Amino acid sequence: MSTTPSPVPSTREAVIIGGNRIPFSRAGKKYVRTSNQDMFTAALEGLVARFGLQGERLGEVAGGAVLKHSKNFNLIRESVLGSSLAPTTPAYDVQQACATGLEAAIAVTNKIKLGQIESAIAGGTDTVSDAPIVVSDRLRAALLDANHAKTTGGKLKALAAIRPKDLAPVSPSTGEPRTHLSMGEHQAITTAKWGITREDQDEVAYNSHQNLARAWESGFFDDLVTPYKGLTRDDNMRPDTSLEKLAKLKPVFGAKLGEQATMTAGNSTPLTDGASAVLFSSRAWAEERDLPILAKFVDAETAAVDFVHGHEGLLMAPAAAVPRLLARNDLRLEDIDFFEIHEAFASTVLTTLAAWEDEEYCRTELGLDGALGKIDRSKLNVNGSSLAAGHPFAATGGRIIATAAKLVAAKAAETGQPARALISVCAAGGLGAVAIVESV
Amino acid sequence: MAFNATGAPASYGVTELAQLPKLGGLFVRGVAGSVGKRPKGAVRLPETAYQVVGVETTGEAAHLAAYQRLLGEPASEVLPAGFLHVLAFPLATAVMVRGDFPLPLLGLVHLRNVARVLRPVRLGETLEVRAWAQDARTHRRGVQVDLVAEVLVGGELAYQGVSTYLAKGFTAPDGGAAAPEAPDAAPAAEAPREEWTAPLPTARWQLGGGTGRAYGAVSGDQNPIHTSSLGAKAFGFPRAIAHGMYTAARALAEVGPARRGDTYEWTVEFFKPVLLPGTVDVAIRYARDAAPTDGPEPVPATLTSENGAAAGQGFVYDGWRSGKNTRHFQGTITPL
Repeated sequence: MSTTPSPVPSTREAVIIGGNRIPFSRAGKKYVRTSNQDMFTAALEGLVARFGLQGERLGEVAGGAVLKHSKNFNLIRESVLGSSLAPTTPAYDVQQACATGLEAAIAVTNKIKLGQIESAIAGGTDTVSDAPIVVSDRLRAALLDANHAKTTGGKLKALAAIRPKDLAPVSPSTGEPRTHLSMGEHQAITTAKWGITREDQDEVAYNSHQNLARAWESGFFDDLVTPYKGLTRDDNMRPDTSLEKLAKLKPVFGAKLGEQATMTAGNSTPLTDGASAVLFSSRAWAEERDLPILAKFVDAETAAVDFVHGHEGLLMAPAAAVPRLLARNDLRLEDIDFFEIHEAFASTVLTTLAAWEDEEYCRTELGLDGALGKIDRSKLNVNGSSLAAGHPFAATGGRIIATAAKLVAAKAAETGQPARALISVCAAGGLGAVAIVESV
Repeated sequence: MAFNATGAPASYGVTELAQLPKLGGLFVRGVAGSVGKRPKGAVRLPETAYQVVGVETTGEAAHLAAYQRLLGEPASEVLPAGFLHVLAFPLATAVMVRGDFPLPLLGLVHLRNVARVLRPVRLGETLEVRAWAQDARTHRRGVQVDLVAEVLVGGELAYQGVSTYLAKGFTAPDGGAAAPEAPDAAPAAEAPREEWTAPLPTARWQLGGGTGRAYGAVSGDQNPIHTSSLGAKAFGFPRAIAHGMYTAARALAEVGPARRGDTYEWTVEFFKPVLLPGTVDVAIRYARDAAPTDGPEPVPATLTSENGAAAGQGFVYDGWRSGKNTRHFQGTITPL
């Protein structure tokens, strides 16, 4: 079933210098009428300011947005042109649903490792408040036909096919194109399959808010976030929430599954606006500029699962990606100091952990000899994750990488031992991206 | 059983038509003719197979594209089984509106459909289409009959579809045509279903009020129970109901050409109709993943002999009313 990976060629290191994001804001609040380009440019400018990159020609800037208008075909390049980076800095767009930011980081660090570039920024941005609205397929077809018609009569005939209901705009949805189930409904099915309890989910949510609030209070984000539009902290954070309050919320996903409905607005991420960016380089590039080196971006793996026919849950790809990544790097779960598992839903984290603990699943589905193992929950999302911070789809990867890099740097400084973080991000389409970040 | 030159039972004669009839006119005849068709004695099916040779498909490109877009089939020059069903449907309907076809077109209940693609049919190929009725047999609530439609390319059987309909209140011929089902082996559509529990869904279909009209436009089946609320009420349904074959064809499209292969069997068993607008939860699963108890009901032996779904190949699909235990349909899609 699984092939033995061939030896990993030795390359030079790609290091993480630092990150910057704008505070994440719940949809429809602070960043209304703020575009993806506005937000990514802001995140970029904060990073430029922090590391003195004004006028610098970087090797590359890569990133993207999940909800993106077709006019933003060069979103990242346009953002670079609006920033104080040298206009000679190339850029390109990436899109891999919620894994966009992490995939962008994988791409640019690979180029750094191969020596094709010396420096790069990877990141992402997403807005639900300023999401593109499209016209219906019938209206689109009529407009295209009219456009292609050669005569006025032909154009009028094409336009006459438009019916009043065709004029209703179509908002972007988080529905899977093949199943028409929303991501929440998909995860509700996975949650039911694994028998994840409401209490466990609420606890993950509660911890996320507590941990994020503590990290903000301790100043952890002072050099990772730049205030934007009057917002200085993530406005989804609820430090005052309690398990009792979370327990009172009504399930919003999985209601059609009967008694198994456990997913609420409290243990699911809200729609959020925001942007993030992370600066990577070769070790030499950072040293020449006397820039700090937080960590190494060691290795990464992507995976996909067969969810369309219900064989696997939509958001379970990281469960498959992590064992492959660990094996290739000769690591076990015990070698990881920080688990940064993106909280698309509290239950996504829990079903992933349950899968790794399940001997039969690991054998039959992951091709392992036995269970991958159980993680130490005190190492999980120690400074909060998406449930508390929010999840502007493409911006989440950058948020997590910067957090992970800072965490391993601090831990290594404290203990004098190398520290490692494992990053895991699930994504629509049954996709997942995972990565290892290690102290230098 | 012996067969004649068309594949119909040996005793059947063959009536050759110059071209495929138009459904609109057939429906008018079917509606008018339904009035006089009442249960009286055992039903006797007309022993005639209709045949049309030289059916050109070159002009079907736009029709095929509209069908593919509606059902979610990828754009392709290969005619999906659902499209072949639509193509042959007028000829089968022509059999059912004959004066000597004893059952009324209006009020026939589509119980199940079993179709096989034995050779891919491509746009541009010239087809031979045949249809006949056979096997009038007992059903708990009346008589059930098979309408068989076949499509040949270059003399080779490419498609066979068997549509089983129920006429309530009619009586099967005594010791007549083959009656493969023992009295205790009632079809799934009639078996007690209280113990059925919906599996976890793999998809959710939001079917708008216009679903029946949209499928009516590509299938030609403009039966008022599908296209208008008033028409449906006239037949005792609270609202318009989706074409059963629309739901089955959507499941077929969802599995798609890459997974069903060039040749495949596609079955469906209909339970409660889908009211429009409505939300249908669907589980389209690998047969090997579906628990044995969820598996397909046995299909009558006349319809299939090597049902691969039983061997865990291919897909099983279920549809039910979203959030309820009201079962709409179940079927299989199996590569041959």
